[in-house]
Amino acid sequence: MVNALILSTIFLPWLGAVLVWLVHDRNARLQHGLAIGISLLSGLAALAILPSLTSHATFTLSLSLQPAYPSTWGSLTFIPDAMGVLLAAIATLIGSLAIIFSVDYMHGEAQLGRYYSLILIFIGAMSGLALTGSLLFLFFFWEITAFCSYALISFHNDDPKAVAGGIKALVITQLGGAGLLAGALLIAANLGSYDIPTFLASARSLSPAVLGFVGFGFLFAAAAKSAQVPFQTWLPDAMEAPTPVSALIHAATMVNAGIYLLFRFYPAFAEVPGWKTAVMVVGLVTAFMAALMAAVANDLKRVLAYSTVSQLGYMVYAIGVGGVFAAQFHLFSHAIFKALLFLAAGSVIHSVGTRLMDQMGGLGKEMPFVRNVFIIGALALTGIPILNGFWSKELILETGFEGGPLWAYLVMLAGSGITAYYSARMVWMVFYGKPANPARQVHDAQTAMRFALVPLAAGALIAWLLAGPLNQSAIQTLPFHEIHEISTLELVTEILTAPSTWIAVSVIAVGLLAFIFRSKLTWLSKGLGWLSYAAKNSFGFEKINDFIVTTIQRFANLLRKSQTGQLNWNITALVGCLVIVLIIVVWGM
Amino acid sequence: MALSPENILLVGVFGLLGIGLYGLLTTRNLIKIVMVLQILVKAAILGLVLAGKVSGQIDIGQSTAATVLVADTMVAVVGLALAVQIRLRWGTLDVSAVSKLRG
Repeated sequence: MVNALILSTIFLPWLGAVLVWLVHDRNARLQHGLAIGISLLSGLAALAILPSLTSHATFTLSLSLQPAYPSTWGSLTFIPDAMGVLLAAIATLIGSLAIIFSVDYMHGEAQLGRYYSLILIFIGAMSGLALTGSLLFLFFFWEITAFCSYALISFHNDDPKAVAGGIKALVITQLGGAGLLAGALLIAANLGSYDIPTFLASARSLSPAVLGFVGFGFLFAAAAKSAQVPFQTWLPDAMEAPTPVSALIHAATMVNAGIYLLFRFYPAFAEVPGWKTAVMVVGLVTAFMAALMAAVANDLKRVLAYSTVSQLGYMVYAIGVGGVFAAQFHLFSHAIFKALLFLAAGSVIHSVGTRLMDQMGGLGKEMPFVRNVFIIGALALTGIPILNGFWSKELILETGFEGGPLWAYLVMLAGSGITAYYSARMVWMVFYGKPANPARQVHDAQTAMRFALVPLAAGALIAWLLAGPLNQSAIQTLPFHEIHEISTLELVTEILTAPSTWIAVSVIAVGLLAFIFRSKLTWLSKGLGWLSYAAKNSFGFEKINDFIVTTIQRFANLLRKSQTGQLNWNITALVGCLVIVLIIVVWGM
Repeated sequence: MALSPENILLVGVFGLLGIGLYGLLTTRNLIKIVMVLQILVKAAILGLVLAGKVSGQIDIGQSTAATVLVADTMVAVVGLALAVQIRLRWGTLDVSAVSKLRG
């Protein structure tokens, strides 16, 4: 029964992708309906796994053709544990909401078949990534999500910016994928198995050098996938994608895959010298830097993208200081409120026709519904009490206060103040102030958009009540993580009585006040002009990026001469290389 | 070197490999290229059977050889079909005449 549910969570969307593709694009209604129905079904399947969470593989498919000889590929296994099912449920449910939202957002667009197929393939692959218990298949699903992300960023493939953004995302995430593959192959070479529980159980038996290499390889992969320093540049450029795609892939699910990787393998690498510190520093630098960039950006979706990078940095930081449950909890909260913010921003952009915030202004009166849900999301992002972002962010800060160095805690605290500042700035520039163009014709969110926004807004308000059950299931099904037990009530009392919470809340209040009294703080903004300049130029990371790209292109140009186009010449080179490989093999023996 | 069946086969493998590679390096005719590719694959099949015999896993060697046989037939069919198409469109079978991969 569990297996049937797991398989339908993953493969039902893939089946749906084929069906949507087969329906001709002229029949858009059927395509909308089919995509919604299939994604909702797989979401229900993911939820139905919840009562039967376990820590061991329930589904095993041996890939050996002849039983006497073990397969090189290991076996395909699925483990429905707390983290895997949480991620699969987020992918399928938020995926369904993004698809429902698309009914209005993508209304009248050409090539809906391609759009929905790619989203459904992505949902299936993301569930597979979360549920699989084999390192090799983790890599396969990881790469499928990267491909879907690329193809959806470049969905408007007649727009050069969209194409460039897609290729940038693809190249950077592939670079990370190499780290994951190298780690997986090293593990398989040393343990003879791709099985994740086997690796977690016997990680200590590996030599420190191998374990260290794998640990940092996985950190590299996670940083590239979750847009952490120094790879964060791809996510803002990925905002050329249609907004439901940004909400689903670049806020709620795929960028969490890196966090998932660090979370999943934390027990194996926690003892590696320097690994936890490296993870903490990556998260810390990213969270702080991205918050600063969000505070100066003008493009609404880029502000949200920087804020996603920053919040992912919080999760990475939490893992670095040992708070794996805090990271998992914040992942859960962040997926909900960031999807809400993105989808609400999508209805604004759909209605106004621009993404630049200085061309919006005063939209609150014309779009009261969107304003209300957007403010709920922004408050959750800021970390205002009782919304879900408050509890999870406070848990991270408290864990950092107890488990990490004080200076790191102070930087993260400052980061949450900046978060408050840019959230207030974003809400103000979009919904309040003077309309930039009084003659504009705008409309509030349409029906399908509302259907998608309401559950997310409700989730941002009450999803934190699930913290206790989430913690319970994590303790029962993740035996290697040694998670500290805590119920929702204990969590609430612990957070409300901890002094670090009130420090953080006052820092957040300072951030909000700084925005409200910004006209009186001109002396401060003048002094910080250099910082704002640096943040607007992404702290030089774009320059480094461009430098690497142009260097590679120059090198490739040098190599052009070797491309004669003569088949015989190419074969000579092939044979030459073959001889070299043979010599190396014979020598090695 | 004793004249055992294994050694004879080994000579056969390298002989076919040599003929195939020489053909690939020298010929420009597409049909001939498909033919020498076939010779190369036959060397590989012979090598698989031989490896199965030498390592004592005859079943694996032979089943893999049978798989390669099927795959390689498809390669030949597609290659010849492409050759026909190229002859129709360019009016020649010389590969250097249709080369577009120049850097």
